[in-house]
Amino acid sequence: MSWHVTEEDLRAYARGELAPPGLWSADAHLTGCAVCRGVLAEVTDPVALDAGWERLDAELDAPRRGWCEGLLVRAGVPDHIARLLTATPVLRGSWLGAVVLVLTMSVLAGALGDHAASPTVFLALAPLLPLAGVALSYGPALDPTYEMAVVAPTHGFKLLMIRTVAVLGTGIGLNGLATLALPGYGLRALAWLLPALALTAAGLALTPRLGPVAAPSAVGVGWVALLLAADAAREPAGGPLAPFTAAGQGVSAAVAVFATGLLFLLRDRFDSASLRRPQGSL
Amino acid sequence: MNPTVSASGLSLHYGRTRALDEVELRLTPGVTGLLGPNGAGKTTLLRVLATAVPADRGSFTVLGHDPRTARGRQEVRRHLGYLPQTPGFHPGFTAFEFVDYVAILKELTDRRARHREVRRVLEEVGLGEVRGRRIRKLSGGMRQRVALAAALVGDPGFLVLDEPTVGLDPEQRMRFRELIARAGEGRTVLLSTHQTEDVAMLCRRVLVMAGGTVRFDGTPAELTARAAGRVWSSTERDPGAKAGWRTGTGTFRNVGDPPAGADLAEATLEDGYLLVLDGMGAGVAA
Repeated sequence: MSWHVTEEDLRAYARGELAPPGLWSADAHLTGCAVCRGVLAEVTDPVALDAGWERLDAELDAPRRGWCEGLLVRAGVPDHIARLLTATPVLRGSWLGAVVLVLTMSVLAGALGDHAASPTVFLALAPLLPLAGVALSYGPALDPTYEMAVVAPTHGFKLLMIRTVAVLGTGIGLNGLATLALPGYGLRALAWLLPALALTAAGLALTPRLGPVAAPSAVGVGWVALLLAADAAREPAGGPLAPFTAAGQGVSAAVAVFATGLLFLLRDRFDSASLRRPQGSL
Repeated sequence: MNPTVSASGLSLHYGRTRALDEVELRLTPGVTGLLGPNGAGKTTLLRVLATAVPADRGSFTVLGHDPRTARGRQEVRRHLGYLPQTPGFHPGFTAFEFVDYVAILKELTDRRARHREVRRVLEEVGLGEVRGRRIRKLSGGMRQRVALAAALVGDPGFLVLDEPTVGLDPEQRMRFRELIARAGEGRTVLLSTHQTEDVAMLCRRVLVMAGGTVRFDGTPAELTARAAGRVWSSTERDPGAKAGWRTGTGTFRNVGDPPAGADLAEATLEDGYLLVLDGMGAGVAA
């Protein structure tokens, strides 16, 4: 071997700082030169080498991000928040499949049914899906890790909000896609959005009082009862139901704001124990 | 020695059921066993101390922090590791992903440091080799170890373990005992169990609960001493005994007040436990 890599270049190589084409040249030379490999071993900082191996090992161990989590991280969401968002129990294939099925059927009913002048079935059903999704994402009866999560230092309300954002984001996104299938109705087809926010906020605000199952159930039943009453009082027949008129939308917005405020005031009730239920043996 | 946990007058009712009644206790570093029959209030006490449910009355501190305020509760939780009676898992997670998830909930937000900690605790419970395996494919004993690893994340000073050896076969139970013994070095561990062997092998101190109250507080040797001179053998079950059962040798082992001339036998921790439950050995030893 007529030449050797300089010690300076070998130090840069060991630190990972040698740039091409010197890097390529050193790579090729080191494979055939025991002398340079010996010098490289001497100039390599063992602490840095260990740290490098540890980093490599850690990366190999790290959970592989799913497409959604990867997308969130690339969009700037912190790694740990993205993990919490995508670990929301209800964001699983079975739930999302059910949501898509329900939306498809309601869109078809709206587009092909006798009441083709108004997408009533879709508008009535769409607000219930985010409500049910949020209800199913949190609580002692439905979250398998609830008991561990509730005693963790992360505030229970923060976790609830993270999961609510995840479910609302997904639910509203799917509802929005379904809305695109009803182009003939224009903006009227978006009349589900404010009721969806109002029902979800009301369901959460009532949870500390009624519990994580009864509260959204009561809100859902109340919504259906309201629609039936509005249908009975509808003038003229065939016109939009009251909740989907401009005035009704205003009421929905007011309920959403009021319930969100109430929810914020009650935030500490989600931090432990207020959703308690006796479990296991005493 | 300053206690890690100090509780006074803890009471909790579920409707008309009195789950905890004026519980007083002080826990110091080492493993403390919590014995008691079903319905004694063990799980409720553990859930209260773990801040999963608040007490109706009374107070307690963990490392000086009072969980009755939001800030105090968060501080308690920062020093807490909790293995519930029936730990739940996200079924699609690997062991690594699950412990990582719990680590995030424990505020370990730096990805690299968190993953290093997850690897450490999984190695500590002997699951380093299967860290990438889905939890649903792990045995019951391995799942319990995953849950223990999750409890150990962040190196908590106070570890609450609710019947961690239930459902494990003898070999797994032995392995788990080794892990608990190691976990108890330098930290305070409260171990609820039905197994008096767990207490005999692991615990520096033992509490016996019944009816929501602490009936005994002392060392395992003191609990065993409660039965000294109160255990005897006979060829027939002694009707005067508080408890009696036929042993493998065919003779009866009786616990209670022995008749004159009884063939006294050496007392065990279980004998002392039975007498405390029966009210005969009740009292606070220490």
